[in-house]
Amino acid sequence: MAPSGAAELARPRRSLAVRLLVSEYLVLALTAVYFVVMWLLVPAIATADTLLDILAAMMPLLVVSIGQTFVLIVAGIDLAAPSILAAASVVGASMMTGEGGFALFTGVPILVGIIAFLGMGLFIGLLNGICTTRLNMPPFIVTLSTMMFFSGFALFYTSALTDDGSSFGDLPSAFVAIGQGTVHGVPYSLGVAAVVMLVAHVTLSRTVFGQWLYAIGRNPRAAAISGVPVKRAVMWAFIISGLCGGVASILYTGRLETGTPVLGQRILLDIVGAAVIGGVSLFGGKGRVTWTLYGVLFLSVVDKGLQLLGLDLASVFAIKGLVILCAAVLDAVRHRLMLRG
Amino acid sequence: MSARDPGSRGRHTTLFLLRNAPVLLFIVLLAAFGMMSGRFLTVTNFVNIFIQAAHIGIIAIGMTFVLLIGGIDLSIGANMYIVAAVLGLYLKDLPLVVSFPLVTLIGLAFGAVNAWFITRLRVAAFITTLSTLFVGRGIALYFSGNKMVGFSPEVLSLGRASYLGVPSAIWAFAIVFIVAFVTLSQTTFGRQIYAVGADADAAGKAGINVRRIVFSVYCIAGVCAAIGGLVSLSQVAVASSTFGFQKEFPVIAATVLGGTSLFGGRGGVLGTVFGAVLIQTVENGLVMTDADPYLYPLVISVIIFIAVFVDSTRTSILERLERRQIRVERA
Repeated sequence: MAPSGAAELARPRRSLAVRLLVSEYLVLALTAVYFVVMWLLVPAIATADTLLDILAAMMPLLVVSIGQTFVLIVAGIDLAAPSILAAASVVGASMMTGEGGFALFTGVPILVGIIAFLGMGLFIGLLNGICTTRLNMPPFIVTLSTMMFFSGFALFYTSALTDDGSSFGDLPSAFVAIGQGTVHGVPYSLGVAAVVMLVAHVTLSRTVFGQWLYAIGRNPRAAAISGVPVKRAVMWAFIISGLCGGVASILYTGRLETGTPVLGQRILLDIVGAAVIGGVSLFGGKGRVTWTLYGVLFLSVVDKGLQLLGLDLASVFAIKGLVILCAAVLDAVRHRLMLRG
Repeated sequence: MSARDPGSRGRHTTLFLLRNAPVLLFIVLLAAFGMMSGRFLTVTNFVNIFIQAAHIGIIAIGMTFVLLIGGIDLSIGANMYIVAAVLGLYLKDLPLVVSFPLVTLIGLAFGAVNAWFITRLRVAAFITTLSTLFVGRGIALYFSGNKMVGFSPEVLSLGRASYLGVPSAIWAFAIVFIVAFVTLSQTTFGRQIYAVGADADAAGKAGINVRRIVFSVYCIAGVCAAIGGLVSLSQVAVASSTFGFQKEFPVIAATVLGGTSLFGGRGGVLGTVFGAVLIQTVENGLVMTDADPYLYPLVISVIIFIAVFVDSTRTSILERLERRQIRVERA
C-alpha cells in the first residue's frame, strides 16, 4: 500500500511492534497467534485433515466475501448476499434433483443447474445494481429489501415444489463433487475459489475498471467529473457480488448435497465481518482481495478452533464476538498510528 | 407564482401528492386490505396493530437517534435477549417496579459499552455493534443455558392490562414516542443531534461536544431496546433462545421507511412510528386475508421497497420542483 509504505520510509526508527501493527499482514499475524494458542489447547487443530477441512469449509465464504469486497470498495453494501446463496441454491438444485428436476429432460441437467445458479446470482445482482444506480436508492435499504424478498422467495419456492417442503435432495453425484470432491487430496472448491480470487485480484489491481471502483469509493463526484462512468461501474460491482454469490452457492450446495432455502441464513455478518476485519473499509475506496482472504481465514480458523474446543453455543457466540471486537480495536488503533506516522 | 400561470395548478397537485406519498401508500393499503377482509377495518383490529407494532416501534425510535447522527446499532436484538434472560432468571421474585428499572439499566449499560468502543476507541459503529451482538447473545445464552425463559405472572398480566381503556403496550409506545419527539424537536440536545448528523466536523467547530452526543445516542438506543424487549416479552409469555434474533432488520426497515436517512442529519421519530405501524399493518392485513404465510416476507419486502423507492424519487423531484425560478419568462 503506497501511503503506509511512504510513511515507513519517512520514519525508519519505528519499533517492530508498531510496524507489525500498521502492516497489512496484521490479521494474518493474529490468525497465526490464535492458531498457536489453539494448538497448545487442542493439538488436533494442526493435523492435515483439520487443516484441509478448514480450507474446504472456508472456500464458499471466501468467494461470496470477495464479491462483497467489490461492493464495499464503491462504498456500497450488499446485504442480499445470503439470500442470493439461498435462492440460487433452491433454483439450481430444482433443475437437477433426481426427484423430477426441471432440466432432467435436456440430458445435461448439471449444466442447466449451474447456469441457473449463476443466473439467479446475476439477476439479483443486476436488480440491486439497477435500483441503486438508476433509481437512486440507498444500497443498504435496497439490498435489505431484496434480502427479505429472495429469502422469502427461496422458502416459498421450496415449499411449493418439494414434498416435504424443506429441501431439494438427490443431486447428481458429479455436481456434488464440485463441493466435496478432491484431486490428490486437494478439494475442487479450492481450485474454483482460487480462480475467482485470481480474477478478482487482477480486476481490482490491474485494470482500469478496478481503478474506477476505488475512485468512486473515495469520491464519487470527483470520479464522475474525471470521466468515470460511475453508474455503470457501481452496477457491475453489484453484478459481480451477485455472480460470486452464485458460485459460492454452487460450492455450498455441493458440500451439503441438498438445495436448501436456509443456506447462508446466518452468515451475512460473517461475510461483511470477514471483509471488514481484513481491512476493507465500509466507507469505500479501501480494500483488496488478499485482505478479504486474510479476514475469511481469520474467521474460519477462529470458528474451527472454538468448534474443536467443544464449547457450547453460548461461548462460541461470545468468544467470536470478542475476537471480532479485538480485531476491530486493533484496526482502529493502527489507523490512528498510520495517520500519525 | 401567479394564478395565471397555466402549469401552476398541476404543479401544486404534483407537489401535494409527492409530499404525502407515504401516507397515500398507507391509505391505498388500508383500502385494499379493507376490501379483501371485512374484519380488517375495525377499531379492535387497529388497536391490535398498534399493540403488535409497539415493541418494534419503541426500538426503532431508539434506532432513529442513532441513524440521525449517521451511526448504526446492530446489537439491539442481543440487548433485548439479555434483558429477557436476566428478568426471567434472576429478578423473577422482585416486584415489577424494581425489576423493570433494573433491566432497563442493563439495556443502558449495553448501549454505553457500544458507545465507549465507538467514541473512545474509534471503532466503526457497524463492526462494534456487530461484535456486541455476538457477545451479548453469547452471555445471555450462557445465563439461560439455551433453554426457554419464563416470566412471573405479574409480567404477563401487565402485558394484558389496560389503563384508561388503553392497553399497556400502547402506553409504553406513546410515552417513549412523546419523550423522544420532545427531546428531538424542543431541546438543545435534539438540535445538537441533527447538527452532528449533518456534519460532525462543523458541529465540533461550533462548540458541540460531538463525542458526548454520539455517546448518548447509543445509550438511548440501548434503553429503547430494553423497553421494547420488555413490551415484547410481556406479550409472548416465554422467551426462546431466538428472542430478539435478527430484530435489527425490521427495526432499521421501520426507521428508514419513516424517512430517516441512513447517512445522518435527516428524519425524525414521527416518521419512525409511521414506518413501524405500516409494516405491522401489512403483516396484519396478510393474516386477515388468509394469505399463505410464506408470502409474508415477499409482500412486506416489496412494500418497503416501494415506499423507499417513492421516497427517493420524491426527494429528487421535489428538489427540482421547489427550486426557485428566477428566470423571467416571456409571455
